[in-house]
Amino acid sequence: MNILLVCSAGMSTSILVEKMRKEAATRGIDASIDAIPESRLKEQTNVDVILIGPQVRYLEGKIKSSVDVPVAVIDNMAYGMMKGDLVLDQALGLVNA
Amino acid sequence: MNKFIEIAGRIGSQRHLVAIRDGFVSVMPLIIVGSLAVLINNFPAVNIGSLSLDFVGSMNNMFGEGNWQGLGGSIWNASFAILGLLIAFSIGYNLARSYGIDGLAAGILSLASYIMLVPVTADWGLNFAWLGAQGLFVAIIVSILVTEMFRYLINTKLTIKMPEGVPGGVTRSFQALIPSMIILTVVAGFQLFMTLVVELSVFEVIFKAIQQPLQGFGDSLPAALVIAFLNHILWFFGLHGTNIIGAVIEPVYLPLIEQNLAAFQAGTSAFDVPYTVTKPFLDAFVFMGGSGTTFALLLAIFIVVRKQRNHPYHQVAKLSTPASLFNINEPVIFGLPIVLNPIMLVPFILVPVTLTIISYVALSTGMVPKTVAIVPWTTPPIISGYLVTGGSVRGVLLQIVNLSIATAMYIPFVMAGAKAMTAEINKNKATTEEGEKIS
Repeated sequence: MNILLVCSAGMSTSILVEKMRKEAATRGIDASIDAIPESRLKEQTNVDVILIGPQVRYLEGKIKSSVDVPVAVIDNMAYGMMKGDLVLDQALGLVNA
Repeated sequence: MNKFIEIAGRIGSQRHLVAIRDGFVSVMPLIIVGSLAVLINNFPAVNIGSLSLDFVGSMNNMFGEGNWQGLGGSIWNASFAILGLLIAFSIGYNLARSYGIDGLAAGILSLASYIMLVPVTADWGLNFAWLGAQGLFVAIIVSILVTEMFRYLINTKLTIKMPEGVPGGVTRSFQALIPSMIILTVVAGFQLFMTLVVELSVFEVIFKAIQQPLQGFGDSLPAALVIAFLNHILWFFGLHGTNIIGAVIEPVYLPLIEQNLAAFQAGTSAFDVPYTVTKPFLDAFVFMGGSGTTFALLLAIFIVVRKQRNHPYHQVAKLSTPASLFNINEPVIFGLPIVLNPIMLVPFILVPVTLTIISYVALSTGMVPKTVAIVPWTTPPIISGYLVTGGSVRGVLLQIVNLSIATAMYIPFVMAGAKAMTAEINKNKATTEEGEKIS
């Protein structure tokens, strides 16, 4: 499964990505998780779910209209506390919904 | 409030503003390298007690006065000195890509149109004065107009049709042909009109009418305060402030630091360069640890809740510190949280506004050298203060003074916030215990 996190520069989100990868590994889930800046979203193919950093939540509508996979904004607190497990749950929930 | 977020969001995702912002982001590595080349060429001697480290002097002794600086000079010429040229291409490229059309073709067309408008010198050279920051606004306007024209012409299908069986690559190479022909002819016609009728280059007109007045206002304390205020009110609502207003800040402020750099390169001391307010000024002296001077907020938290290691504030601060050293502060902004937290609203805006005023006074009265270098915004405080002031300890001292003031200002609000949180935790604990008793 390919999970993509989108924020403005892809910097702060990359901290979260590390935690999510660890969480996925401990759960034995085969997932590729990456963080990219919004400007590079167009180059991405083969994505299963897109999560947006809360600081660029205004991109939600734009991204939703340009892709046909589930898109959601990451919860403020989960993002701030860098809760890799919660965000991974959110991603899995969206894919399985 | 939802209205505010909606409007801010619309600005933050407006296609042309995004293209401008991303255009600047794409050329930033080159700009920083050019700026560092100038800094190294003019690095001041460092005196620690009786020990004197004079890099420039020893290089001059080794290779002959001024010879070695040709290296940095060349880098400058091909980076910051051609900022307008680079921006013309990268905005055209980014805008076209946002429409899903050929970015490379639009970038090249924007670049060609820009060159066409640059005044030619008597010996058939391009005038460097207009290739750089002074031509920035022309670059932005030209690249947007050219790319929009390109998109219109491509969409009208005014392109050469190829018979079936012709390879796709060949078709594509011809697709941009007619639009390019039309656009270049239009721009050349405009240039002819400017030369013969107006008898001025469009660069001079735009520079005097738009760029110069904007820059004059940009270098004032009110402008710096407006930026500090807007940026933080946006972040308070959880929106990426610097990102949203970046498309406006970069074109106004890059030329200011460019002129500081150029003066510094020509031998002016960092105290006497023309402009006080620049992007490095805000990055180094106000946004320490990120927007809201959150580095000071973390210090305040460590001071206030030092005895309660399990307090949520302590945990957030511990989690946020490594990233905050590099001015990345989303963890503390969303985790504490600062977003929509009425207790934190006051210091989060008041601290940067205060620091902007202090720093402005310190630089404009000559207590601290002005900014003469661009460093990546992720450069840690203390190092950044030293580098942006052209290697001055006074820059570091101002950062330390600012951090101390900011920490002191944050402390009462952190105490109030921490207390409220402790009370809430105790209340929750009490209700769960009660619930357990009942069950």
